Amino acid sequence: MKFTLTCFFLFFGFSLSAQEKKTKVSVSGNIGVTYEGYGLNRNPTGFSGYSQRKPWNQVRFTFQPTITTPKFSLPFNFNFNTTPTNVIGPYAGIGKQSIGQFITNPSNNFAVNPKYKWAELQLGTQYLNYSNLSTGDVGVFGAGFDLRPDVWRLKFFTGVSQQGVNFFSGGANGSYKRKNWMAQLGMEKEDNYALLFNFAKGKDDKTSIPPPPPGSVLPQEGFSMSVVGKVTIDKNWYANVEGAQSVYTKDLFQLTSPTDVTIKPFLTGNTSTIKDYAAEGAIGHKSKNFDIGVKVKYLGAGFQTVGYPFLQPDRMDYLLNTRFNAFKNKTNVTASIGQRTNNVSSTALKAKQFIGNLNWFSQINDNWSVNINYNNFGFQSNSGLNPFGIKNVSNDFGIAPTYTWSNTKMVHLLSLSYNYSKYDERDVLTGLTTSNNTHTALLTYVPSFLTKDLTPDFSVMYFINKLPGFKTTLATISTGLALPAFKKKVQLRGQLQYTFSKNNTFTANNNFIASCNIDAKLNKKTTWTNYFSTNYFKYGTESTPVNANYLESNFRTGLMYRFGK
Amino acid sequence: MKKIFYILSILFFVQNSIAQVNTNLVLSPTPPSSLLQWSVNRETLTFIVFPAAQGTQGQYKIKTEIKLSDGTVVGKTDLNKSKTYTLSSATTIYNATDVVPLESMVFNGKYKSNLEKTGKLPADNYEICVQLVRPPDFVPFSEIKCKSFYLAATQLPILMKPYNEDVLDYDIAKTTIIFRWTPVVPKPKALVTYKILVFEVFENQNPVQAMRSNFPVLSQEVKGVTQYIWQPRGILGEAAYLNKEDTLQITNNKLSDQDYNIKRGKYVWAIQTFDNLGQPLGDGNVNADGVSEPTLFFVSRKVKDIKTDAMGKQAEQ
Repeated sequence: MKFTLTCFFLFFGFSLSAQEKKTKVSVSGNIGVTYEGYGLNRNPTGFSGYSQRKPWNQVRFTFQPTITTPKFSLPFNFNFNTTPTNVIGPYAGIGKQSIGQFITNPSNNFAVNPKYKWAELQLGTQYLNYSNLSTGDVGVFGAGFDLRPDVWRLKFFTGVSQQGVNFFSGGANGSYKRKNWMAQLGMEKEDNYALLFNFAKGKDDKTSIPPPPPGSVLPQEGFSMSVVGKVTIDKNWYANVEGAQSVYTKDLFQLTSPTDVTIKPFLTGNTSTIKDYAAEGAIGHKSKNFDIGVKVKYLGAGFQTVGYPFLQPDRMDYLLNTRFNAFKNKTNVTASIGQRTNNVSSTALKAKQFIGNLNWFSQINDNWSVNINYNNFGFQSNSGLNPFGIKNVSNDFGIAPTYTWSNTKMVHLLSLSYNYSKYDERDVLTGLTTSNNTHTALLTYVPSFLTKDLTPDFSVMYFINKLPGFKTTLATISTGLALPAFKKKVQLRGQLQYTFSKNNTFTANNNFIASCNIDAKLNKKTTWTNYFSTNYFKYGTESTPVNANYLESNFRTGLMYRFGK
Repeated sequence: MKKIFYILSILFFVQNSIAQVNTNLVLSPTPPSSLLQWSVNRETLTFIVFPAAQGTQGQYKIKTEIKLSDGTVVGKTDLNKSKTYTLSSATTIYNATDVVPLESMVFNGKYKSNLEKTGKLPADNYEICVQLVRPPDFVPFSEIKCKSFYLAATQLPILMKPYNEDVLDYDIAKTTIIFRWTPVVPKPKALVTYKILVFEVFENQNPVQAMRSNFPVLSQEVKGVTQYIWQPRGILGEAAYLNKEDTLQITNNKLSDQDYNIKRGKYVWAIQTFDNLGQPLGDGNVNADGVSEPTLFFVSRKVKDIKTDAMGKQAEQ
């Protein structure tokens, strides 16, 4: 397969280069290949206290040309890699892939979107975002169109979002083949108004795989429809609203009964079919120096859509956002305050989460600036079966003054940042609250040479985290240097980092990291990028066996050719 | 004497006709809130019908009632629609598919509408009572067996820190990043395992695509706690590095927002939750893999951003 792909890739690369000579047809975009290698050496042999963090070998291809004529454009978007690395989702744990699985694997994109005036044909893998409550997070391989004559909108797409994957004990979780379609109908004038109706459906093919073991994946079917309204007044005031309904069958093998939830002709339900609603709205004001807005979102306990597989239902969010500039734009403030209620449908287990954020930046004078931030997240639920309810409160406060001074040759920057973080958790059985306190201090010095091309930086960080019976201390010293070479055709960057860490009374762990980038401009259109890093970690007495260590290395090299202007 | 003999004979006959078959009901005290999951997780409910006395033959139906703790019946089997079974000389084991058959259960009022909306009964204390009855008149064929249980919809963790689209300072993040999330609600009696997953979002990827396809740069399990202090140890390395050319380009607004995001380093994180048996928790999400709603965060060299201002001023002068 690798050979076929390489041939395909080269063929298109050359044929497109040839087309560049024609004057009326222009081609722009890029084509590239990247290899990434990873190594992990753990000592003593058999030490399993540290796990692999990247695939051992990976080759990624990028092919993104756009052919443009005065009336027509043809953008290609091909991105794919040779080794599947899926951990979550339908392809989790997949080993060797069939062609169909390779094409629909979320790792890979094969898309062509020819455009003629207001008409766009969509072919291949498309991540189409119709709205926040219908579809947007799932890629579908198939065909469709997006028509936008004047203010009218007509969109349709159909295809396969996942192929059938057989269950393997200790390997793939398995998945049923899922076919999707989605449509949008309505009218829209950019930055003015919109009224759009969205429909999205996905259905698993029950026969696409042999029955997996009980308790694993179930064949499902979901249909959702929503209506979106948007209006902007005087370019500054805006209001958006969306209301949605979903009907979802959790197991297509369940039996039917006359009272099943059904929404014909889109979905015929069975005893596992549920139906619920969701809505969201926002209203606000935007200008150069002042923004304010309110957002509200409600997701019913049974709201599920195939277009947003990780959407968490049964909640209600309110959020008030603001941003303003003051004192001749030398002070910028952004803030938000809100509340999220989880388990809205359950009076017994309703859980409330308070959200508060503030970031204040002030340029005091030419030399001094200061940034202050404060975040608060509080979470509280009713007790349920336990004597006490859950109560977790996270408070973070940070202050970062910065002093800069300069002369004709250099700009110096000295920044000190201090963060205090407090996390309180209540035990649901005893009612006792434990506090987890963290202090972080960072000092950074960045001298910039205005007459030279050297860019060094230095930083020192101290971190301490304390909770009852446990204490972690970390200290890091790091430095970086960037400089051009070979008449600025090569950019070199390097970083060194040493970290000392200590947990309780164990002896210290020591960590040394070195990395470098070498980016070379081979000619006007071709760049060659390289990255190498090594990470050596030696444990103290906290590891089993004592004093274990590992050496992790990363190597990446990539060639990118940019064609067109 | 004759009367006593007749009375004893009648009692013996009635006893035999009422309770000719012995049964046993086993139910998890905290079953999944979704009634569908009762059938999927077969160990949730087991109903055993022991072999009948020799010579006993016939057919029976399983009559099930779900009640509140005050005795109010919220749902029961429609015996006219439910399956008929034939008595066997061997032990027969049934699970929720047969005992709580959704296609022939009838629920009342708000319980019915709740099931249609969510597939779940409202969080509360319930009792399930199961008995064998003989068709066509549905006279009892076994003793009633009842079990109490508590039902609550599990809500997966909600990610607190880094919050959605939070921008972390690279010089701190390269040494530590603190992750915090809310616990599973309601808090199970057994210790749950949280797996913290962090994925790098590559160029041309959307965050969910990255989650569903990339190798995680962090995959760490912790038990019971809702905070994890991660030491990235070089894995964020190159993503956040901006050279002088980049900073000047940002100053002059020549670097698009999209490019700037690439320079910043983009990550998506989520929590996967498992019960004490290692099974993914939560029947709420589409994937049923216990993965929370993901959150995006960036790692950026904030100092360099500030430096940009200083260099911009110099350029103006």
